[in-house]
Amino acid sequence: MPPGLDNLRHIVVLMMENRSFDHMLGSLTAVDLRIDGITDQLSNPDTTGAIVKPQPLAQFQGQLDPDPDHHFPAVDLQIFGGDTSPNRGPNMQGFVKSYFNQQEDVGQSQKIMYYFAQNQLPVLTTLALEFAVFNRWFASIPGPTICNRAFAHYGTSFGRVDMNVLYVNEPFQSIYSRLINANPKHTAKLYYYDTTSSTMEVANLLQNEPELFGTYDQFLDDCSKSNLPDYCFIEPNYNDHDSDSGEEVANDQHPDHNVQAGELFIASVYKALKTSPLWPNTALLVVYDEHGGIYDHVIPPACTPDQFTASANDTGTGQPFAFDRLGVRVPAILISPWIPRGTVVDGRVFDHASIPATVTKFFLGDYSPRSPRETNADVFIEPNGAAVDPARNLLSLTAMRNDCPDFDV
Amino acid sequence: MTLIHVPRPDVKKAMNPDRPVNALLKAQVQHLHDAERNLPLRHRTDIYINAIKTEGEAAEYIRKVTTAIQEAHEAAAAKRRREIAITAAADEGPREKKGSASGAKKKTIVKRARKT
Repeated sequence: MPPGLDNLRHIVVLMMENRSFDHMLGSLTAVDLRIDGITDQLSNPDTTGAIVKPQPLAQFQGQLDPDPDHHFPAVDLQIFGGDTSPNRGPNMQGFVKSYFNQQEDVGQSQKIMYYFAQNQLPVLTTLALEFAVFNRWFASIPGPTICNRAFAHYGTSFGRVDMNVLYVNEPFQSIYSRLINANPKHTAKLYYYDTTSSTMEVANLLQNEPELFGTYDQFLDDCSKSNLPDYCFIEPNYNDHDSDSGEEVANDQHPDHNVQAGELFIASVYKALKTSPLWPNTALLVVYDEHGGIYDHVIPPACTPDQFTASANDTGTGQPFAFDRLGVRVPAILISPWIPRGTVVDGRVFDHASIPATVTKFFLGDYSPRSPRETNADVFIEPNGAAVDPARNLLSLTAMRNDCPDFDV
Repeated sequence: MTLIHVPRPDVKKAMNPDRPVNALLKAQVQHLHDAERNLPLRHRTDIYINAIKTEGEAAEYIRKVTTAIQEAHEAAAAKRRREIAITAAADEGPREKKGSASGAKKKTIVKRARKT
């Protein structure tokens, strides 16, 4: 067993909000050609027919207001460029058109093509260059937050493509229920930022299993006291609010929340783990739930259909959806001191169903029932105890790194 | 090891609780409202969610209902513990007077109560 996997005891997932790969990490192609980001060849037409190229003009706040539409019909337009014919193909040419629909302002619509320069995002870009960045991690659905986050918790959205309350149908258990009900029992927790931010997993887990939840302060405490659960999922602060410790700025990076606040938060999570005695035993995945309507150039691939179908009425496009195509690409970075610097994961496709797939296979081994989407999802950490394929194992170093970066947070 | 500087946002500029509530927070509020309907009456907030227009108002509602859900579960757990304690105490009394002839049966009752 490779020592990185042999030492791994804790998997941590931090899921941020609504930014595409090209928007956040596209600048890194200029640093490392293996990273599939922004090039001179990319563009979208605006509604006047003019060609709009991506530019490194993204701002931390105040630019993507109104919030770009990322509900199912809008994402359909973004991916297919407005073609609704039966034999259409995806072309990623509808982002500017889609944003134009919200205000009918050509100048504003072009801002959907803006991306961040590398030096604007020192945390995310450093982590991407220092550890493993995924070239092909997609949102699970070409749609909004709630149904995409459901894939991270359940491996399916149970047929939903929207933001409505999602009631879980048996028999697909959440990854948390699987772990805590296993024999031998495992530990799992969802850390939300604080009570005023709370969780997006209200309908099922918070209502029925509130003992699964902790706050971010508890996460920090659990890190320092070596008390982390086997698996945990961290939610950022979703809203601006006052707290006992002062003003809490939303750090989820959802437009139009401040992107730098999110950078600080990511650095804080990383630092808590890196300074914990559990650092040698932990892998952290930083990932975004969906693209938020912001431009990305990679065509989302077709995938194994789920066993659910969203009706034409539910999708709002006039066509049903069999969950047989992934959503738009998002940033995803796997962090561990056992990952070689500058790892670029290419030629493999991941989505949020990969999260419960990986955690289940690593801690529980064979487990059923799971959704067809999860069963077919690739894993980002090789299963514990199995014969490990060196070509797939990302925690591949034979000795732990001692050159991992630090952030002044 | 490299120490990387992380710029801080200007909190005064970034913070805006009067910002119109976005679709995500609207959905979260709706989900909590749905959850609130399942709470015992004494834990409900009585807040009219259609009147929530700003992020600050949403945050306040989210805090209250999240706290209420936790309190409702704590109250239910405390009640369960009390019932188990009462059952155990009731079992203790007769056993002391009459000996342990029916002890095995009573222990089973306590065990079952703990499982609920």
